Amino acid sequence: MRKIEAKNICKKFDDLEVLKSIDMTVDEGEVVAIIGPSGGGKSTFLRCLNKLETINGGTIIIDGETLVDTDDKGNVRYAENASQIACRMGMVFQQFNLFPHMTVLENLMEAPVHVQKRNPAEVQVEAEALLQKVGLLDKRDQYPLRLSGGQQQRVAIARALCMKPDIMLFDEPTSSLDPELTGEVLKTMRNLAEDHMTMVVVTHEMGFAREVATKVLFMADGYIQEQGVPEEIFERPQNERLQTFLKSILK
Amino acid sequence: MDYIISIIPQMLMGTVDTLRLFFITIVLAIPLGILLAFCRVSSFAALRKIVAAYVYVLRGTPLMLQLLFVYFGLPFIPVIGIRLDDFPAAVLAFVLNYGAYFCEIFRAGIQAIPRGQYEAAKTLGMNYVQTMRRIILPQVFKIILPPVSNETITLVKDTSLIYVLAMNDLLRTTRNLVQRDFNIMPFVVAAVFYLVMSMILTYGFNKLEKHFARWD
Ligand SMILES: Nc1ncnc2c1ncn2[C@@H]1O[C@H](COP(=O)(O)OP(=O)(O)O)[C@@H](O)[C@H]1O
Ligand SMILES: [Mg+2]
Repeated sequence: MRKIEAKNICKKFDDLEVLKSIDMTVDEGEVVAIIGPSGGGKSTFLRCLNKLETINGGTIIIDGETLVDTDDKGNVRYAENASQIACRMGMVFQQFNLFPHMTVLENLMEAPVHVQKRNPAEVQVEAEALLQKVGLLDKRDQYPLRLSGGQQQRVAIARALCMKPDIMLFDEPTSSLDPELTGEVLKTMRNLAEDHMTMVVVTHEMGFAREVATKVLFMADGYIQEQGVPEEIFERPQNERLQTFLKSILK
Repeated sequence: MDYIISIIPQMLMGTVDTLRLFFITIVLAIPLGILLAFCRVSSFAALRKIVAAYVYVLRGTPLMLQLLFVYFGLPFIPVIGIRLDDFPAAVLAFVLNYGAYFCEIFRAGIQAIPRGQYEAAKTLGMNYVQTMRRIILPQVFKIILPPVSNETITLVKDTSLIYVLAMNDLLRTTRNLVQRDFNIMPFVVAAVFYLVMSMILTYGFNKLEKHFARWD
């Protein structure tokens, strides 16, 4: 089943055309890795998917529901329940963005209890199970700033999962971590992929993209320059920019 | 010593007026400051500018002048011209003035919260009010505690300005005693009174700061 369908996405910041025309689809259970040079629009694209940025043109369909559409005259129209559709996607940020004034457990329970209005006792059971899964149940009563970067990011993943999302978006989840801490976060993401979570991951971790992704998109200059299964992208890159990019990053 | 004990009841009476003005100002000026701060960071340019002008005027002119204006000047203004009693006039001037200062403190605090906090709240489906109330403001309170503490201690001392409205606050009571008895001891006692009030506030704010420090 098709989880995300993005057609002809355009995004401008004033005069700067960051996304010129992006087309992509994500099927249920797919893990899509987006790679590409810095400033190429990867984050912006991810943020357009869950409405952290509003687009200037194109169509986004999430789980069969139209989040945003553009008519023939170029008018962009967001669905009335756009925010609800958008928050079916969990998001993990490069900077974690945990709520510093809440404990780990409170971070997980905040939105399920206060937004989804679920029963706190039930949410707590689920939150603790998720913390167990990311290996941080013993930190449940700690405040985030006391944790290492890797631990904070795993809490952030658990927090997003606690909303029971259909899709998880990751924006360079390991880029602000010390190298020795990236492994634990990547492992958590691998586990998630094994559980058949649909994921879109912007990453510089080529090992992760190669081993875990079902599809890799190479984005540069506001276009998807090339896409394919990991072997195609990494073993037989066609696009010249992709070849240069891979050479520079594998050095 | 006997003299000091003999003047204490009167000085305590004066302190009551001082404290009343202090507490009423705090209770009204802080919410006003928060409200103004939200206007100051809102997306309506006109609202932002009006509040910026308000803050500029109230911070750029002496509180004493504002106090005199509210008490003596308001009655002469056409249409809205009203004559306020001395205490309500003092409260009005103090709340308007301190609201402007608190507005700037809260504005700086709100703007110090990283954008990522709003974005995380948004991806979790929280609406504007939930985001502000549950995510942003608790963090803002921590940031603004030191400047609010400063402002509050300044307010204790600023209450003495109501002296000019001939109200029998702590300062005026003190001066009356000095003139009546030809003794400067009341000045010393008044200083101790002000110091004790500042000390209690400092202690309270330190406690609060410790409470908020638990998460860093
Ligand atoms: N809020 C913004 N306002 C203006 N320009 C932005 C904004 N966000 C991103 N950009 C610009 O858009 C371009 C793409 O940025 P980004 O999507 O972050 O790239 P990537 O994630 O691939 O490194 C960059 O040139 C960046 O400066
Ligand atoms: Mg980026």
